[in-house]
Amino acid sequence: MNNVFSLAWRLFKHEARRGELTIILLAIVLSVAAVLSLSLFSERLQSALSERSAAFLAADTQLRSDKPIDENWLTDARDQGISTAQRVSTRSMVFGAEKMSLVDLRAVSRQYPLRGEVMVADAPFGEKQPVQSLPEKGHVWIDSRLFQTLNVKVGDTVDVGDASFTVGNVLGEIPDAGFSVFSAEPIVLMRLDDLAATNVTGPGSRADYVAYFAGDASAISDYYDALEPKLNDDLHSWRSAADDESAIGRSVARAERYFLLASLLAIILAAVSIAVAAQRYSLRHFDPVAIMKTLGATQAMIRKVYVLQVLFITVVGIILGVIFGLAIQQVVVWALADKVDVSIDVWHFRPLLIAVFTGAVCASLFSLYPLLRLFSVPPLRVLRRDLSSNLSSRSLQFLASGSAVFLLMWAYSQDLEISAILFASGVVLIAGLLLVTYGLIAVGRKLGQGRMGAWQLAWARIRRRAMDNSIQLISFSVTIMLLLIVLVMRNDMVAQWRAQLPEGTPNYFLINITEAQQPRLESHFAENQIDIDKFYPVVRGRFAAVNDETVRTEVTKEEEGSDTNQRDGLGREANLTWDDELQNENKITQGQWHGNTEADLPEGIYPVSVETGVAERLNISMGDKLTFNIGSEIVNTQVTSVREVNWQTMQPNFFFIIDPAAMTAFTPTYITSFYLPTERKAELTRLMQPFASVTMFDVDARINQLRSIVDQVSVAVEFILVLVLAAGSLVLIAQVQASMDERLQELAILRTLGAKGSLIRLSVVLEFVIIGVVAGLMAALANEFSLYLLQTQVFQMDAQLHLEYWLIAPACGALVVGLLGAVGCWRLLRLNTSQLLRNMV
Amino acid sequence: MIKTQQITKIVTTSEGQLQILQPISFEVKAGESVAIVGASGSGKSTLLSLLAGLDEVSEGEIYLDGAALHSLDEEARARLRGEKVGFIFQSFMLVQSLTALENVMLPAEIAGRTDAKKRAEAILDDVGLGHRAHHYPNQLSGGEQQRVAIARAFIGEPRILFADEPTGNLDEANSEKIEQLLFNLNHELGTTLILVTHDPELAKKCDRQLMMHGGQLEEESSDEKHNLAREAG
Repeated sequence: MNNVFSLAWRLFKHEARRGELTIILLAIVLSVAAVLSLSLFSERLQSALSERSAAFLAADTQLRSDKPIDENWLTDARDQGISTAQRVSTRSMVFGAEKMSLVDLRAVSRQYPLRGEVMVADAPFGEKQPVQSLPEKGHVWIDSRLFQTLNVKVGDTVDVGDASFTVGNVLGEIPDAGFSVFSAEPIVLMRLDDLAATNVTGPGSRADYVAYFAGDASAISDYYDALEPKLNDDLHSWRSAADDESAIGRSVARAERYFLLASLLAIILAAVSIAVAAQRYSLRHFDPVAIMKTLGATQAMIRKVYVLQVLFITVVGIILGVIFGLAIQQVVVWALADKVDVSIDVWHFRPLLIAVFTGAVCASLFSLYPLLRLFSVPPLRVLRRDLSSNLSSRSLQFLASGSAVFLLMWAYSQDLEISAILFASGVVLIAGLLLVTYGLIAVGRKLGQGRMGAWQLAWARIRRRAMDNSIQLISFSVTIMLLLIVLVMRNDMVAQWRAQLPEGTPNYFLINITEAQQPRLESHFAENQIDIDKFYPVVRGRFAAVNDETVRTEVTKEEEGSDTNQRDGLGREANLTWDDELQNENKITQGQWHGNTEADLPEGIYPVSVETGVAERLNISMGDKLTFNIGSEIVNTQVTSVREVNWQTMQPNFFFIIDPAAMTAFTPTYITSFYLPTERKAELTRLMQPFASVTMFDVDARINQLRSIVDQVSVAVEFILVLVLAAGSLVLIAQVQASMDERLQELAILRTLGAKGSLIRLSVVLEFVIIGVVAGLMAALANEFSLYLLQTQVFQMDAQLHLEYWLIAPACGALVVGLLGAVGCWRLLRLNTSQLLRNMV
Repeated sequence: MIKTQQITKIVTTSEGQLQILQPISFEVKAGESVAIVGASGSGKSTLLSLLAGLDEVSEGEIYLDGAALHSLDEEARARLRGEKVGFIFQSFMLVQSLTALENVMLPAEIAGRTDAKKRAEAILDDVGLGHRAHHYPNQLSGGEQQRVAIARAFIGEPRILFADEPTGNLDEANSEKIEQLLFNLNHELGTTLILVTHDPELAKKCDRQLMMHGGQLEEESSDEKHNLAREAG
């Protein structure tokens, strides 16, 4: 055994020194480094992003309820090391100096917020500063707008329900303020133990109870598992940063899926390069194995020597890969430090484990078949050089490589379904590609006929190695396809993110504009060179009945627990608007937009367009009759269209849009929005002075936050793109290198026969160019198919055709593969004929 | 040392079965040198591969130093080769990634000998390549490579040495050196030598010549005179 070890070590050492192992070692180093840096970076970025998302919840998770939350549940959580906080909120009237306003009253426990920060300003609409404290007992902090509407200042007294409070501070921002234009009531923040004195949450009132949890993810998950059976779906909802359906939540979720996809693709690329390199390694060791067998080495000995060699390569590859992976990751973190917010202090073991596992699995399973081939090389090869391996079935190779890829995908994604879908579509894709490439090679047979020139030589070579070439074509195609997927996904995703928040996205909303104020406001803004959006008329209405069946409008104490069999309503009043014109980012999915056609409806029934989500929730379908209560009037409508609304746009969106004819009798208020650059923020107070009764809603900070997250994620995605491109390029180099060895013999013969270097070079370059064009074309085809599946099934994006890549991919394929071929060929042609012949031995 | 009885070799091709060796019987005594000669495709390399246990006979029996080669499996044949057989090939068959010294050490290491390095150094000196011990095969000339191969063949003090066209890839001057080295070592160590060659001059230097033609052993000739002359020289 000692001899075997020293022989294996010596072979390893020499081969490493002579560069024989460079490609396989590079492939392992690459796979480990790519996986480690990608997953380490993405985990760090994800924890930073989920910290941010958590800040929007003021906790890692929230439990929301329509009735008080059991104190014992919170005690249980604290016993398990989870931090908790509480909030009770309700809409209530607040009275100031002879004025009053409806507010969003939030009473919070002293631990609030568990994530994120409360911000205060030194003056209404002034600069916001984070604070660590909460209002003192008997104090409230109130929104800037309330100073205007209630006509109060800091230190004055306001009444909430039965209690009086001192205005302690200007409330700038709280983490979980919400992001809806219609949750427009200004916020009043107070201590939870002050709430009882106000009596605003007495019987008949409606309050939301929220419990906040923060701590170790697994502890929270265990806690939720134990709590879940006690929860009532009608009353409770459990929200975490991960299932955040807001624009930010979706962007983060989509980015996470992209990281996952890119890492999976990087793993596959690395695996392909290991397979190619292992194949080459095995071919180059046919002779040594035959020699050793001839000299008396038994099968068991050969096995030990080569398994030990693979082990050495793997261990060295993994160690180098880990070092490089950490270095790459560190360099990127430093380079992006000012652009991307990553939690540098957090050390994640999972990426390291995954990376080591990837290296080990790739090295063992992808070298299994080449090794088995190697073991079966007959000793007779020393006399008969044409003998290779007795093992010719490729099914084992496909089985081993297939299971390696699947295992890695599964281990990495921890999602059997996604892995299975991706893997199965990959298999179908490869089978299709195999068929198509065979067809193309057959077509090439016709093209390559005639006098032996470079073109004919190139086609002759492609034809002769049809099977090898089709596999090579597939590996080129798959590599180019994977690169295309990562590139196009990134472009589409970043474009869609950016489109949500173009420059000049409205950052202020104005509501409660009266009909009389509207024209004055418009001209006032025009005088100040501020573009103001369209004015949407709004009335508050209660959604009363569907097909004459009344709907439950809110859950009252009496109804709790009783099965009323009533349809669910919207819970409270809805904002209704009317319009002839369909808004941007609204898409009719069923029926006809009432602005475009004359609906044939009975007298007194008007067309209404319903948003898809609300239609689904309230079980409303086309043709249903909807009844609204507006003030004391009844408005009867019939659903003539269903709309899909992009809620991620920063514009007022509506559940119901009614035909304007129905609304002539009502006096609406208007809602609009405008964009004001940050540097003109100081003008706001002066700008709004003449319109004291108009409520302004500032989303500037939110938009900036969203934009910075999108920017960060885009930068991160770009980094990942570069890494995957590097992985792909190395795979291409490994492939060309491997196929160069196969060409060595032929080059030597052609050279010996006196063929000119230029003819050989041209024929090799042409061969690679042809392979590059076909691979690029196949890749574009497969890319389109995979992208369609990925975008519609995994990323929930709009799929689109990418026709430009049908040109770019073959052109780049030809250029890159041709260039690599030319470089490889140049290296070989620098050798003289006798060196070429000697290299063949 | 070697005894064959009615050995044949049949291979299966796409056009059916092809008998490449007709039944052959002969004996080689210990210490004898035998040349197998014949035209290309006559079956001489096939015969060599069967005698050396690199391939299996289709029918018949082969005894190598008393061991029934025809009844051994590949593993047992490998062990037997390791213990008793040395090889020299036309294309040298050195492991390109090992140095000259390490190539020579290889059989001794495979056999589990602990003094492999010392012995290899000594034998490399014997073939005049002590100063090139740490060169890789592609840094050596053809003649030097074949001398390394000879050193490798003799390190295990084999009972039998098989040489397949040992001078086939070499020029005249180098051929002569190699022949001399081969026969000297063969003589010194009392090794049985089985040599496949096209070269009648080389064949004549052997005790006996076996002529192959169309898969048959056509005649057996010996050149006592030449043999005596060699011994005298």
